[in-house]
Formats: sequence, structure tokens, C-alpha cells
Amino acid sequence: MDWTQFALKLIPVLLVFGAILNIVPFLVFLERKVCAWIQNRVGPNRVGLLGPDSPLEILGIKTGKVRILGGLLQPLADAIKLFTKENFTPKGADRTLFLLAPFFALLPPLLAFVVVPVGADFVFADGTVLKLQVADLNVGVLWILSVASFAAYGLAFGGWASDNKFALLGGVRAMAQMISYEIPLGILLLAVIMSFGTVSLREMVLAQAGWTAVSPDFTNNIWSWGIWQQPLAFVLFTICAFAENNRLPFDLPECEAELIGGYHTEYNAMGFGMFFQGEYIAMLSMGALIATLFLGGWHYPGFASLYGAGGWVTLLAIVLSFAAFSVKVMAFVFFSMWVRWTLPRFRWDQLMDIGWKGIVPLALANLLFTAFINLPPENKTPAHRQAAAAAVESVQAEKK
Amino acid sequence: MSAANHGHDTQPHGAGHGADAGHGHGHGAEGGDRPGILEKLYIPEIVKGLGNTFKHLIQPVFTIDYDGSERSNPQKYHTPREGYRGEHYLKKDDDGHVKCVACFMCAAACPAECIHIEAEATPPDWKNRERYPKRFEIDLLRCIYCGYCEEACPVDAIALSTVYNVVSGTREEKVYNVDRLLAQGEQLGLSLSKHHYRPDGVPGAVPEKSGHH
Repeated sequence: MDWTQFALKLIPVLLVFGAILNIVPFLVFLERKVCAWIQNRVGPNRVGLLGPDSPLEILGIKTGKVRILGGLLQPLADAIKLFTKENFTPKGADRTLFLLAPFFALLPPLLAFVVVPVGADFVFADGTVLKLQVADLNVGVLWILSVASFAAYGLAFGGWASDNKFALLGGVRAMAQMISYEIPLGILLLAVIMSFGTVSLREMVLAQAGWTAVSPDFTNNIWSWGIWQQPLAFVLFTICAFAENNRLPFDLPECEAELIGGYHTEYNAMGFGMFFQGEYIAMLSMGALIATLFLGGWHYPGFASLYGAGGWVTLLAIVLSFAAFSVKVMAFVFFSMWVRWTLPRFRWDQLMDIGWKGIVPLALANLLFTAFINLPPENKTPAHRQAAAAAVESVQAEKK
Repeated sequence: MSAANHGHDTQPHGAGHGADAGHGHGHGAEGGDRPGILEKLYIPEIVKGLGNTFKHLIQPVFTIDYDGSERSNPQKYHTPREGYRGEHYLKKDDDGHVKCVACFMCAAACPAECIHIEAEATPPDWKNRERYPKRFEIDLLRCIYCGYCEEACPVDAIALSTVYNVVSGTREEKVYNVDRLLAQGEQLGLSLSKHHYRPDGVPGAVPEKSGHH
């Protein structure tokens, strides 16, 4: 058993999935806090480690009278509540699908994180490379497209299997909404792929960081990020991301005022918990995708100088790259929450109109425009790739 | 599609909509005019909305945290407005006796029928008084805090203070009798206060400007 290879695979898995699964409860808490601050309220501030009602008092530790950082343990209280509630299936429900639906809502967004590079490569002294990416698939973006669409099954199963008219309505609407916003998502991704010349997410981030085959070092250039190459795609992609996650203003499938809970009305305890978590993980995965495609992934200005310094400074550069990626993802998540508490919900026909009559034509126009300006194919046809590879070899031969 | 005004228009506005009932080049959002092209695009509206919510995000909160600490003692730091109708108190006259003459006007005026009075003849040494209430009880759980008793009283004996956050452990504690009501007035320093009539001449007590904590 090659322990080196095992460790090289294990570290990114622990990093990526550990980070996601531990951040999600805090995202729930953060959502409630941001919502409260926007509404001039305080939000949850009672359940904390320091203060009169702290759970540490059970262990006999006195925690004083002043409540500092109250509310940070609220996710723990939520988790305990969800674990201890009763799980029952409604009487006429389809048992299999009812149990299966939350898994379909939870797993696909997690799987979408598999191909996202979360940090720069760490090159050991003997040449082994630790890639901070769970799986460096060379079909990168296509993997995300295919896997993330499975989440729609979860919503549809939940709506159908609940034996509840309103849940069924919510599930049907969710399916229709996700399908009609996957299509412009795909078209926009085509434009982005065309503009970067590659499908692999790792290559895309390297291209934005300035690493090309001819000059393999990073140029600290914020102007090479994807958002400058594809500004319209960035705006439309953000809108489609909101629609994919069922976030307001595209909230109809699960709108709390009209359909009570939509497709997750009949779920309680962990079923609801899994739908809920799946929604936040999907939000994180969309944020990761936007960060990777448009905001430069783990790149930040000043990365090149830190990375090339060697020794502990390189390690710092890599840690900072992970931090930069996290900041970008959390910026999208915060923006998502900010928009949620700003905009009213779209009506169903308005939603479909925006998708089909607004975003699809604009995405197609964007694709056409990208195709036109990328006409002189620099590195993108096989002949040009061979020429570029020959150039790289000659450069490396000169160095030797 | 003519019914949905907020669709995402992809064509320039002057071009193809002549057949519809007047999506003209209307100006702005004042007074319900037709939305202009920038409004229909919705993105500038979103940005305006985001700016508004961000402004609220960084504003201080309005919440007063009732966590029991002195810093958030509402009696000290949050006084309601002038004329706020809180809990009742009875007033005393200059001799120190309760002003109430047990005329039953407040009990009759009360919509919730929460005032119960029993009258009795005064002891001989009370000047200018014939009756006083032997039993005067207000059930503050039935009370709706309308202030009609205060308006109805002809001798300015009962009034409503601005005390609003008194809690009790049992229902019986909230049935205030004479002593409790008098003590409430003493505690607030309003036992000897006088109320004026409203400026429009309608009978109904308006509290004095001074005197509330």
C-alpha cells in the first residue's frame, strides 16, 4: 500500500469535505444573523459558551454573567433538536422515495466540490505534488454540470412521495425551475470554456493565475481573472446560480408563505435537516464554481512573489490561497443572503419568462460574441497546441 | 405576456411592442406611471434595493436585550411616550386619604368590567368626604388598558402610569387592591399629581408634563 499516494489523496478530501460540512451549520447561523441585522434586529444571541445560559455550566464551569459572542452555539442547539425529533413518514407516502429524496438533495452538491481546486499546489522537495483538489478530472466543468443536476431529483422525489398536493406543486415547480435554468447555465459555461480554452477547472484557475505552458510562473495579475473576459456571463451566471439553489428571488418551490414548505413540507427532523443542509452546500458549490470560473479561484494579487520565495513563505502562500478561495466563496454566500433579504419573490410566470425569454437569448448572444472574438485561435486548435508544445520544449531545452 | 409587466425584455423598448396596450416610454415610478426601460430591466432596482439593505445592515439595532443586566433595565432606559397607558395607580388628597369617592363611574365605564368597588361611609374625621372605597380591586389581567376609567373619574383619583413590564407568578398577584394601587402611586411619586383636561375641552385626563420618571 503506497502510503504516500494515500496521504496525497486523503489530505484534500479531509480539507475540502471537512471544511464544507463544518461550515454549513455556521452558515445557518450566519443567515439568521445577517437577516436580523438587515432588519435592524439582533438575531440569535442566547446560546453561547460564555454567559449565564452556557452549556458549560453543566460541567460545573462557571461562565459569568456577561454574554460574549452569544449565539455561536445556536447551530449545536439546532442539530440537537433535529436529531431528537421524531422521524415519521406520512400515511399515503411512497416510503422508498420518501426516504431517498433527502439523499438526492444532499449528495450531488457535495459531489460537485470534487473537481474544484481550493488552493495552489504544494510541491515537495522530491517532486511529488500535493494538489489541493480532490480529483483532477480533465472534464472538470462537465462533471459539475452532470452531477449538480441530480439535485433536482431530490426535490421531485420529495414532492411526489409526500402525498401532499402542495408538496407536489412545490416539487414540480422545483423541477421545472431547475431544468429551465440549467440550460442557460450550460450555455454560459460553453462561453467560458471557449474563452479559457479548457474544460478542466484546474487549468482554468492556472490560466487566470497567469500560468501558461510557455511561461510557467504565476504573474500576479488581477486583470486576467475570468470576470474581465466574460462580464455578461458573470452576471447571468450569478442569476442562474440563484435559481439553481432555489434562493430568493427564485424561491417559489419552497416559499414559506405560500406553500408552507413546498417539497419539504412533510419532512421533519433529519429529513428536513438534510434538505436544509443540501441547500446550503449547493449555495457553497455555486459560490465555489463562480469563484473558480470568474474570480480567479485561489489566486490573489501578490501570490507570485510569495510562492516563489521558497521555504515557509511558500507554505504561507498556499495557506493564503486557500484563505483567498474561502473568502471568495463566502463573499458569494453573503451576497446570496443579502439578496435574499432584499428582493421579493418572482411570480411563477415571471420566473419562467426571465429564464427562457431573458437569460437564454442573452446567453446565446454571449456565446456568439465570444466565438467571434476568439476567432483567431491562439492555443485552441490541435495545430496550434502542437506549435505551443514545441515552443515550450524549445524554451526548456534552452534552459538546460 | 401582456399581463406580466416585469418580464425581462430583451428587445429595445421602442421596437416591437406597438401592438400591446401602451408599454410606452413612461417616466419613472412616481405615481404609478408606466415603468421605464431601466426599471423593466430590474437590475438597477436590485442595486438600489441592495444599497438600502446594506444601509440597514450597518445601522445599530433597535432591539433592547432583556437579559436581566442593569444596562438594559427598561425602567431606566426606555420610558414610553407621554400619555402611555400602563398600570393603574390611585391618588391621595392633601390630607393623605385616598381621593376616590366610590362613585362607581370607573366601574361603569370599564369595557372589561375589571373594577370592583364596595363603598362605605367615611370615618367622621375625614373632611368633606362622605364615601370612600372599602374595597377597590382592579383585575389587571382583564384590563385592556384603554384609560376609560381615568377619563370617567370626576375627582381625578385614578390614573394610568407608564409602568409596563411587571410580571407576576400567579394570577392572584395581578388583582390589585386599594393598598397596592396607593403604593404604586407612592412609588412613582405621583400620589399628589394633578391632571389637566384636554385642550379641546373633552373631559379626559392629560398627564402633566413633569413628574414621570
